[in-house]
Amino acid sequence: MLLRMRGITKTFDRTRALQGADFELVEGEIHGLLGANGAGKSTLSKIISGHYARDGGEMTYRGRDIRLRGTRDALNIGIAIVMQETSLVPDLTVLENIFLPELGRPGRLDYRKLRRSGEEILDSLGQQDALPFDLEVRRLSSAQKQLVEIAKALSVRAKLLIFDEPTASLSPGEVERLFDVMSRLRASGRGLVFVSHRLEEVFALTDRVTVLREGRTVMDAHATSGLTQAELIRAMVGAELGAIYTERHEDNAVTGPVALEVSHLQSAPLVHDVSFKVHKGEILGLGGLVGAGRSETAEAIFGLRPRTGGSVLLNGKPLKADSPKTAIRSGLGFVAEDRRTQNIVPDLSVKENLLLAHLGAHRGFFCGYGARTKRVDELLARLDLPGDRMLDASMLSFSGGMQQKIIMARWLLLGPNVLILDEPTKGVDIGTRASIYSMLRDIAADGVALVIISSDFEELLGLADRVVVVSDGRSTADLPSSVLDEEKLTLLAAPRTSMARNTALLNDLTRQYGGAGFWALIEDESLICLNAVVKDAELDPGFKAGEARRLSETRVPLALSRREAGFVREASGGRETLVVPVTSPRGHDLGWVGLSLREGAALPPPEAIKSSIDNMAATL
Amino acid sequence: MATSHSERSVQPSLAKKLTRRLEVRMALLTLAIAAILSLLSPYFLTHSNVFNMLDQSVVIGIISVGMTFVILTGGIDLSVGSVAGLTGIILGLALQQMPIVPAIGLAVLCGAFIGLISGILINVFGLAAFVVTLGVMAIARSLAYIFSGQTAISNIPEDMQNIVYTSVLGIPSNVLFLIVLYLLAWAYLTYTKGGRTIYAVGSNKEAARAAGLNTLFYSVLPYVLSAALSAVAITFSISQLLSADPLMGNQMELDAIAAVVIGGASLYGGRGSMIGTLFGVFIMVMIRNGLNLMGVSPFWQGSAIGTIIIVALLVERFVSARVSR
Repeated sequence: MLLRMRGITKTFDRTRALQGADFELVEGEIHGLLGANGAGKSTLSKIISGHYARDGGEMTYRGRDIRLRGTRDALNIGIAIVMQETSLVPDLTVLENIFLPELGRPGRLDYRKLRRSGEEILDSLGQQDALPFDLEVRRLSSAQKQLVEIAKALSVRAKLLIFDEPTASLSPGEVERLFDVMSRLRASGRGLVFVSHRLEEVFALTDRVTVLREGRTVMDAHATSGLTQAELIRAMVGAELGAIYTERHEDNAVTGPVALEVSHLQSAPLVHDVSFKVHKGEILGLGGLVGAGRSETAEAIFGLRPRTGGSVLLNGKPLKADSPKTAIRSGLGFVAEDRRTQNIVPDLSVKENLLLAHLGAHRGFFCGYGARTKRVDELLARLDLPGDRMLDASMLSFSGGMQQKIIMARWLLLGPNVLILDEPTKGVDIGTRASIYSMLRDIAADGVALVIISSDFEELLGLADRVVVVSDGRSTADLPSSVLDEEKLTLLAAPRTSMARNTALLNDLTRQYGGAGFWALIEDESLICLNAVVKDAELDPGFKAGEARRLSETRVPLALSRREAGFVREASGGRETLVVPVTSPRGHDLGWVGLSLREGAALPPPEAIKSSIDNMAATL
Repeated sequence: MATSHSERSVQPSLAKKLTRRLEVRMALLTLAIAAILSLLSPYFLTHSNVFNMLDQSVVIGIISVGMTFVILTGGIDLSVGSVAGLTGIILGLALQQMPIVPAIGLAVLCGAFIGLISGILINVFGLAAFVVTLGVMAIARSLAYIFSGQTAISNIPEDMQNIVYTSVLGIPSNVLFLIVLYLLAWAYLTYTKGGRTIYAVGSNKEAARAAGLNTLFYSVLPYVLSAALSAVAITFSISQLLSADPLMGNQMELDAIAAVVIGGASLYGGRGSMIGTLFGVFIMVMIRNGLNLMGVSPFWQGSAIGTIIIVALLVERFVSARVSR
């Protein structure tokens, strides 16, 4: 037994983050730590890693009672954490970061020796030459930074590694590589904690799972193989998921007038070309990976961030980006992602926090609070907030869910036309999440256009009528959520680096053989195009990147529905199309690549095309 | 569903709520100090000494109003003493050329202009308030010496004394001015959009901006006010002494910052009040007065005041750690 924790409790101010959590880990296993947002996963992992001291409970590590006073204590006994926000020093080189703990020791550094041990570590991970040792860390991709973190943990001979949501900002190919590294670490006898809320990853990787709900362990070290997805969800949510995402009224909203239209929005350095429309009464989801530029897009619309190009129309009128005040007075609201730093004013009372946007929009010398009293009372009743605590000194004594409701009320008070919410359920416990979802639906039903940014694809799909995918600062797809699922959304949200590779493949194919190539996900009778390269305009497949089509609406329906081993000639004639499946080295379905050529052209052997596609898939 | 939260959080007791009120804590502290000092010196609580202390509170009290505004936004103004000195010299020179009212107006305007420059450097160019006002402090003092020709200007018209030596209902006009100023400042900070914005800016500027508040204007305004009030304060000094000295206001920033901090304001911004500052001013003046009455050497008084500031900061740190987070 590597680690055993029993009855762990932890309280922050008045929030009981953990109230009796159990956890255990043996050598040579990957143990999934699951739970909804706010269940206490992060708190528990930070107690293991020494970031927080536990308030109560027992913790034994390799048979001995331990009490960690800091991360240094944890590192000394071989416990390391690979975090979402990395703990690397951006201005030092990769090598220096890997051996950062060494840098603190007295005496001279032997760089040659460090380099050699660095190479050994990467070898053991099967990632030879994956890292440029002499480059500053700030210039690495997020996947590379993560690898540096892992190498850093191994440089201090960590026995226990915690991976806290390690896939949140990775493309599917990078996820595969990370899983490969993690499998090797398991094979070397280390114990790994894998914190995640993506169920398919948990099933693909873990040996056992522990599920937390509201600070308690509700499923203790259960073998993954004996579980179904439904059982896991029930354990995480404490109810059937259907109860949380109540039925969505299909296709009713899209008919309303356009409330907000964003075209080719640009805001250096993260937003390059984002376009979308949202209608009155519609819920639009902005999906994508962490760091794709979604929050920055919202900030640029709202006037918190200078725009460098593009335009924004609010109710058909251009909206200037000079300040949030302009946006608010024109009927836009924005619930920013980080409640503590972007929304809450801790020294003002709860009531004044609720009235803050009113104050911002208010014209006049005095505050004009009196005129809003009636509406405030209405909102409190509607949002199920305790009216008697409105004069409390600080918002910080409320739970995350309650804080979020107050921030939402701040904007609803003004009766906005469009409300943008960035990660509205971040740090909100599951019970309040459900009530926030129904609030959002009610708000939309009242005719407000909602734009919701969320990295939780399940939430996004459960809530939004339509999803616009943003990847590396560009909107890459605009699809009704009815045609999407989490897996498709993950592929659509892949960052440009993997996009560049598959574009290169399609370019290569079309350069070599002419015609048109595409990459698409196909399910039943419909398709979502991930990418398309058309060399020969005659052979346009009838869809572009980010578009969804019924197979029968495309120009290559026969080839798409048959997906045979050879070229298929369309009934209308004129073209021959080969459709080949793409699978990752770990067997993940990555969709289909198609190549259309003119009828009568010399057809290359399908095997040659297949093998070049397989080669490319191996590098994803 | 939402009820699960109220169960999970704990309601503070009434006693705790009362001690959370800054003003209550301050009033208790002021009374305690007054009691101790009156035990140590029988002269302390006499009518004439009380009026003497009120009179001594005027200059530092006025400067502390501006300082409170600045500190509420999370800034600091080290230049108040020097700006007082410079505007005092400007007033002294102006009185040679023009009647009293325009001369005072000119001095106050000059002060406001200096504050505007500091405020813009800090909030538009993003320089540290500490450094900018330190620079302005040096510049203003040096200009005070240059403009005055290194000597005091003593031919101030005697009519200036009317500013101080008139009394309304038995209250000296300068004390009355102080009371009215604190009432106005308190009302402004409590009941107006600008006042609430100043609190919000100091507490969380980013959130304030995102809510549409004019954070730039209300970050600059306190510096303008602070420097302008320095000029007002020194006007009272000059009308009492009938002399303008380039050294006037020396180290006044220390007393003002001390008063505001003792008054419970947080140097991180967002927390503090006019009532707290007023008590802070009284505490400072009482302690100086008490030390004088007890015959403590002025050289030791610096140590006493310094210790008080540090203790006040320590207390503030413990209290704010308990109240928030």
